[in-house]
Amino acid sequence: MITKFQIAYKNLLRKRVRSLLTLMGIAVSAWVLVSLLGFNQGYETSLNKDIDNMGFQLMVMAKGCPYEAATMMLKGGTGLKYMDESIMKDVAKEPEVEKITPILMSAVFDANKGESGGIAGYFGVEPKSFAEMKPFLKFRQGGWFTDTNSYEAVMGYEAAELEQREVGDEILMPEKNVKFKVVGILNRTGTQDDGTIFVPLKTTQKIFNRPNEITTIGIKLKKGVNSAPLEEKLYQLPDVQIVSLAQVKDTIMKLISTAQVMVLSIATIAILIAIVGVINTILTSVWERFQEIGILKTVGAMPWDIFKLIWIETVILCTTGGVIGVILALILSRITDMVMRAVLPYAPSGGLVLIDFKLILITLVGIVCIGLLSGIYPAWRAGRIRPLEAIRGEAAR
Amino acid sequence: MMRLTVLSLLLLLAGCTAAWSAVGCDLNDPDRDVARLFPESTGYKTIYTSILKKGGEKMLSTVETRLGDKFKGIYETIEVPYTIYEIYANKKKIGYIHGVNQKGQFGGIQVFVVLDLEGTIKGFYIQKMTSQYAGRLRDAKFGRQFIGLTLKDFDHYDVVSGHASGKVEAIKNPAPEAEADFRAALRATKKNLILMDEFVYSAQPSPSSQEVPKK
Repeated sequence: MITKFQIAYKNLLRKRVRSLLTLMGIAVSAWVLVSLLGFNQGYETSLNKDIDNMGFQLMVMAKGCPYEAATMMLKGGTGLKYMDESIMKDVAKEPEVEKITPILMSAVFDANKGESGGIAGYFGVEPKSFAEMKPFLKFRQGGWFTDTNSYEAVMGYEAAELEQREVGDEILMPEKNVKFKVVGILNRTGTQDDGTIFVPLKTTQKIFNRPNEITTIGIKLKKGVNSAPLEEKLYQLPDVQIVSLAQVKDTIMKLISTAQVMVLSIATIAILIAIVGVINTILTSVWERFQEIGILKTVGAMPWDIFKLIWIETVILCTTGGVIGVILALILSRITDMVMRAVLPYAPSGGLVLIDFKLILITLVGIVCIGLLSGIYPAWRAGRIRPLEAIRGEAAR
Repeated sequence: MMRLTVLSLLLLLAGCTAAWSAVGCDLNDPDRDVARLFPESTGYKTIYTSILKKGGEKMLSTVETRLGDKFKGIYETIEVPYTIYEIYANKKKIGYIHGVNQKGQFGGIQVFVVLDLEGTIKGFYIQKMTSQYAGRLRDAKFGRQFIGLTLKDFDHYDVVSGHASGKVEAIKNPAPEAEADFRAALRATKKNLILMDEFVYSAQPSPSSQEVPKK
């Protein structure tokens, strides 16, 4: 015996082009929705990973330093703001602080990089405390320098690749003409560390004539500690500003939320159009089969049977469209990732679009529910058709 | 205030990455550099290849034999990607630009050669070099010594001992203090010419105008 599902399926096949166009509408909506939701969770996950990879939750910098740090890359290290490293004692004594590490960012101009020269950045760090902050840093070759006064360097993966350096080789700090021996090359991390050259803090202070000065203190908080009270206390220190990476994350997410709202609006419009398309398709199909439905009722079909028949058609359309949309989103996720990267002012290093099973399930259930809702009216109208009027073709539509 | 701070930090982080993001040996600004290195060009096409892709272990062995030295270290390997810029004047192919990375005394050296369709050097450009004396080796005067040379001229240049004869011997080192980098530049040039011969010149029957430029 033929089932209601088979009847509904055959009915949809009777008007293939119309059904296909409706299906495409739903598929596109589902694709946009899955991609958007995937972007939402992918971006945040990657951003969290990038921030976690920094190893610390708070940074203390000399006032104005972030701005100067940014221009450092453009101006060759001029105008950097420094703070006295004695400030570390004040920071370390706070009960919320688990670990701290001092950093002296520095940059030199390399005239022999390309046609117009370029900037080479060096991070002066204390190997012990820095390594403790970033336990995820693994070495491809060698290890950390042990003496903060030595002329040794640890290179990020890409920096070493560009400079063709291996452990035991020498590097020359341009402008200063100071030689360092490479003692370690890091594995690829996918973060800014890949392009960084780490040198001992004391040596950097000596080379740049900044005795006992640093640009940054990285702070790792004790587990479960709220950073806000500590930030308040640290702001009491003279001439420093505090950058909370949670705040950094929030600010980035706020910046991104504008783009998300825009895409969400587009997705909502696409879904609304798809709903209207589904209602239109099913309703048109009901009107076209007006007499046929009347005959069905005459031979004993109850309003609920007709309702279910029409409803099943909606469910088939929405489920199939939803599945196609999800497949599209999975196939095109890399392209979506590339487009997002091109459009956004800042994108973290990991994947921007993360589509997992839970997301797929939620989207499909959502689309089927929307389909069920949008099918109610056409199905209800079909269920209310009066058999005799339908057969005579007299009913007011 | 916070927004500005964040943006500054992002710029800093992006700046760090951008400063080192080049992998392989590409021209930093191909549009500008191609026009400068090949003034008669009107466009170019970029081709990506590698020894692994073109001929695998057999090609590597051939290249090493012709070079007279083994590929060394963790960066000079069979997988290294190479970028060949095919140069066009209108629709006619007129030459190539190709660069290789070479380990120098204090850092990576990027050596580009500008070649005509017969494989003769028309131009020589060291894009990057880290050395106190890099300025002298990157000077156009040093580069001009390579113009007119071919792979044949480098056949008898020993990249290990640095012993040269013929036209290569005539190339003067403008920075005797940086002998290692001078030799590295010569090794890079020979390797560059061998690779171009393997990738392009030996692979095509005769130099002729072909294909349509991209730009």
